Amino acid sequence: MRALAADPAATEQIASARTLVKVYGTGEAAVRALDGVDVDFARGEMTAIMGPSGSGKSTLMHCMAGLDTPTSGTAMVDGENVGRMKQRDLTRLRRTRLGFVFQSFNLIPTLTAEENITLPLDIARADVDLDWFDTVVDAVGLRDRLDHRPSELSGGQQQRVACARALVSRPSVVFADEPTGNLDSRSSGEVLGFLRRSVDELGQSVVMVTHDPTAASYAHRVLFLADGRLVGELEDPTAETVLDALRELGAGRREPIPHAASAAHGTHAAENTER
Amino acid sequence: MTRVALRSIRSHLGRFLMSVIAVMLGVAFVAGTFSLRAMLSSTFDSIVSASAQGDAYVRGVQTSESGSDPSTLGQERGVIPLDLESTIQDTAGVRAVVPELSGPVVLVGEDGTAVNGGGGAPSFALAYDPADTSIQLVAGDPPSGPGEVVLETSTMEASGLAIGDTTSIVLGGVSEVRVVGEATFGTASAGARFVLIDRAVAEAAFAPDGGVASFAVYGDDGIDEESLVAELRTALAGASEAEVATGDQIRQESKDQIDTILGFVSTFLLVFAAISLFVGAFIIANTFQMIVRQRQREFAMLRAIGASPGQVFASILVQAAVVGLLGSAAGVGAGVALVAGLRFVLGQMGQELSGDIPLDASTVGISMTVGLVVSLVAAAVPARRAALTPPVEAMRDEIVVADRGSRLRALLGVLLVVVGAAAVVSSVVAELDSAGSVLGAGAAGIVLGVLLVAPTMVPAVLRVLAAPVVAAVRPLGALARGNVTRNPRRTASTAGALMIGMALVGAVSVLAASAAESTRSIVENESTADFVLSSATFEVPKEVVPQVEALDGVVAADTTHVGPLTVDGERTIVVGIPSDMVGRTLQIEVVDGDLASLSSGAAAVSTGAAKENGWAVGDVLAMTDGAQSRDVTIGAVIDSQILDVDVTLPLDVYEDLVPAAQDRIRTILVATAAGADPEEIRRELTETAKPYLIISVLDNEEFADSLADQVNQVLVILYALLGLSVVIAVLGIVNTLALSIAERTKEIGLLRAVGLGRAQLAAVVTIESVLTAVFGTVLGMVVGVGIASALPSVFADQGLNLLAIPWARLSVLVVLSVVVGAVAAVGPAVRAARLDVLDAVSHE
Repeated sequence: MRALAADPAATEQIASARTLVKVYGTGEAAVRALDGVDVDFARGEMTAIMGPSGSGKSTLMHCMAGLDTPTSGTAMVDGENVGRMKQRDLTRLRRTRLGFVFQSFNLIPTLTAEENITLPLDIARADVDLDWFDTVVDAVGLRDRLDHRPSELSGGQQQRVACARALVSRPSVVFADEPTGNLDSRSSGEVLGFLRRSVDELGQSVVMVTHDPTAASYAHRVLFLADGRLVGELEDPTAETVLDALRELGAGRREPIPHAASAAHGTHAAENTER
Repeated sequence: MTRVALRSIRSHLGRFLMSVIAVMLGVAFVAGTFSLRAMLSSTFDSIVSASAQGDAYVRGVQTSESGSDPSTLGQERGVIPLDLESTIQDTAGVRAVVPELSGPVVLVGEDGTAVNGGGGAPSFALAYDPADTSIQLVAGDPPSGPGEVVLETSTMEASGLAIGDTTSIVLGGVSEVRVVGEATFGTASAGARFVLIDRAVAEAAFAPDGGVASFAVYGDDGIDEESLVAELRTALAGASEAEVATGDQIRQESKDQIDTILGFVSTFLLVFAAISLFVGAFIIANTFQMIVRQRQREFAMLRAIGASPGQVFASILVQAAVVGLLGSAAGVGAGVALVAGLRFVLGQMGQELSGDIPLDASTVGISMTVGLVVSLVAAAVPARRAALTPPVEAMRDEIVVADRGSRLRALLGVLLVVVGAAAVVSSVVAELDSAGSVLGAGAAGIVLGVLLVAPTMVPAVLRVLAAPVVAAVRPLGALARGNVTRNPRRTASTAGALMIGMALVGAVSVLAASAAESTRSIVENESTADFVLSSATFEVPKEVVPQVEALDGVVAADTTHVGPLTVDGERTIVVGIPSDMVGRTLQIEVVDGDLASLSSGAAAVSTGAAKENGWAVGDVLAMTDGAQSRDVTIGAVIDSQILDVDVTLPLDVYEDLVPAAQDRIRTILVATAAGADPEEIRRELTETAKPYLIISVLDNEEFADSLADQVNQVLVILYALLGLSVVIAVLGIVNTLALSIAERTKEIGLLRAVGLGRAQLAAVVTIESVLTAVFGTVLGMVVGVGIASALPSVFADQGLNLLAIPWARLSVLVVLSVVVGAVAAVGPAVRAARLDVLDAVSHE
């Protein structure tokens, strides 16, 4: 593992943050959720963002995706400064250049799977590229489920529909916020496998927030955040190397902690039972 | 727990506001209805007390028992000779006696046009009698001779005239008069106009044959009403046609009559109170459902620390009680304000009502109780759900609410619709005596049934209604349709208020159009006159007849007269026509006998009356007005709508029987010579009619139009009430949209995250709202028009024989409902569009 900040010389970047700061609240109650983050997300890669609760990983993703406005610094996506964009431009950006997969409640219950998938294009009044639609649908393996409504699909199937929707407009980058947080391990594997294949086979770029080391191991690269700062990075991770890194992080932050790894794991477990 | 409940209200005041407003609106109608009724009642009571101040009354004896029909109020008595006055005057204990000498008049105002009574109230001329204590001269002199009048204060104001001005009045004929004084009754006149004239002039106009309806008798100081009446009875023992009553008795009778009429008005208003309370209850249920939803974790926590389901239930009901009490109190206030506003508006229109708005304890009690009970009942369902939800389940993210009992409800609804429809059909097919009430019950059943079935119909009906918008604005239309059909029960209840209102308006529109159309076709079929002269006061001055007859090119000026008469023991209104009128200006369908018999003094009776009374051609009817009596043979049974009375008499018989004072010319049908220039004759007729101000000259087609127009005016008041149900409906839709948006916050966040713009989101909400409004309107209209379609068959013998569906007017209503939907959506749509995407996505 190498500790690094932004590396302009790295592979071509699809999104990047420069001295990104996000402060919630004012005065005594102020919280620096992001404390000067510099980071690059590579085009054609799957990047995972990890960190303990309150580390700022979700805030980072929200700022990059234009869902939240940074207090200072810049958040660039595909050449656009999303932190400074107007609502109207952000809306347009979301329709075609960004894809979203949330942890839960990804689909509109009144629309069929197919209608959910093409929703961003319908909203944008753009034509659906049928070849690409077929490619995506086949890749998620939902051809025979297209007429079903979300309530008739399993949790894993719902998330795969959400992934297909995120990809149908060939976005510059897909943001996935704990996409497997509510799934069992088999369904998680399907969804993550598909996200990875969308990068490897379909040439997409994916940024995923997770606190599951197994989920993170599907990524090309893992970024570690703590207390609003980028504290580490891991290339070609496995579940074990991610766990090790987390343990090391925990040790670095609050020594002496004898069982950093189990502490990190514990946090993860606690968050899962919460919902 | 009570403290928890009250704290929660205080910290979420805004959330409860809509419920409070909903209760307030419903209660306002209840309170408003009661106090409006009380106010009208007291206004008329004070008019009665002021205008009937006599200690005793001498009047004609009752000639029939049919006193229940409001249209014949005050007409079921005979007249008594005016020369009884001296007998009465000479009776011991009598200080003064005032004969009732009054009748319709037209007063020409300062601007040269007729002075109209406020709100269509009539104008009266009455004899000025210094002995009549109900009238006080406040300025000027009493009228003397035919050239002088005194005006009542509000009449003076409305006319723009002042003492000393010269103007004209139409009293039988037109006469030039000078205003010499101003008088007052000391009470609100409710819009009626009064012209006080010289006693002799009034006698000539209203008692030409020496008969009056009554005498007001004022007793000497100290004599009580009972002894005065006893004295009068003794004195009048010889006059069998006269009867004596105490002043109190007369005043009570008048009040009773007024209360009967006001009863109809308040029933109608209470229907609207019921609608608004229904919607109010629904809004409260919605609000509490929303509150329960948002606070389910709090309830779960309370349950987890040991609160019983009963305590949770009770805490929600306490909130409902607070909402109910606040809303009811505000509603009582709003009701009073409503009546005050109404009084102001009526006052502006020249219809003054008495000063104070009565608000008695029972009105307040009833209103508060209704508001409170409705609130508690409405909150009970969500409260029960909150109480019975296990804490663990409540801690979870989403609660799926099963829509139970929907099949049973739909079944019950279908049953009601079928039974209701059967009742309506049977009222049409079977010739029941009580067809009207069977029809009414059937209609109520259908409306109730449709309300119950509506949720089941939502998906199918909306698929059709939404089809154009789904196709036109992809994908917003489909999203909106999905939202509306997602909770069919809620959509149906939201649309309910509009449905009921529109059913009512739809039915009345069809009824009015049918009536107008029926009238028009009748007139066009039966009248063959070239011109028709009619009067705005429904009385054509008699002197105009010879003037019309004298015109060049006029072959005949046939007059139709109306007047009261007792026929076969029943007091009724009869028509008199010249016997040679038939075939000249009238063309009438003869069912039996021959109309030529009119010329030999026979009567024609209507088919309805013949059936009801078992009359047939050749039967002899006893006719009397109290003074004159005659037996008249039935010569023909006719089916006519122009002669819309039971008995039509040839003019010579009619004039023989009906006292001249009671005779009115309703219309003059003019036949012109062949080859005469119609435009020239019209010009001459118009010229002749001009001085009379109130006479309109119409050709046959215009005459038909003018009759149809009268029917259309009925609709105006209905549209005012529609406005009311629209206001309530808007409130209901706003509330439902707010609830629905609160429930869908996360979904809205998702839509925004995948690129739905703010305007697009607002459009989705607007389409939802419009779909709901159109759903209610279309459903209500189908029900209303369907029921109304049965009416022409039921009331065919009352002149309603054609079914006309006013498509244009109905489509205007649909367009209106689109506007209503769009207006209702403004608030919720703006709120939805302002939701922060991130907050919405992470909303729990």
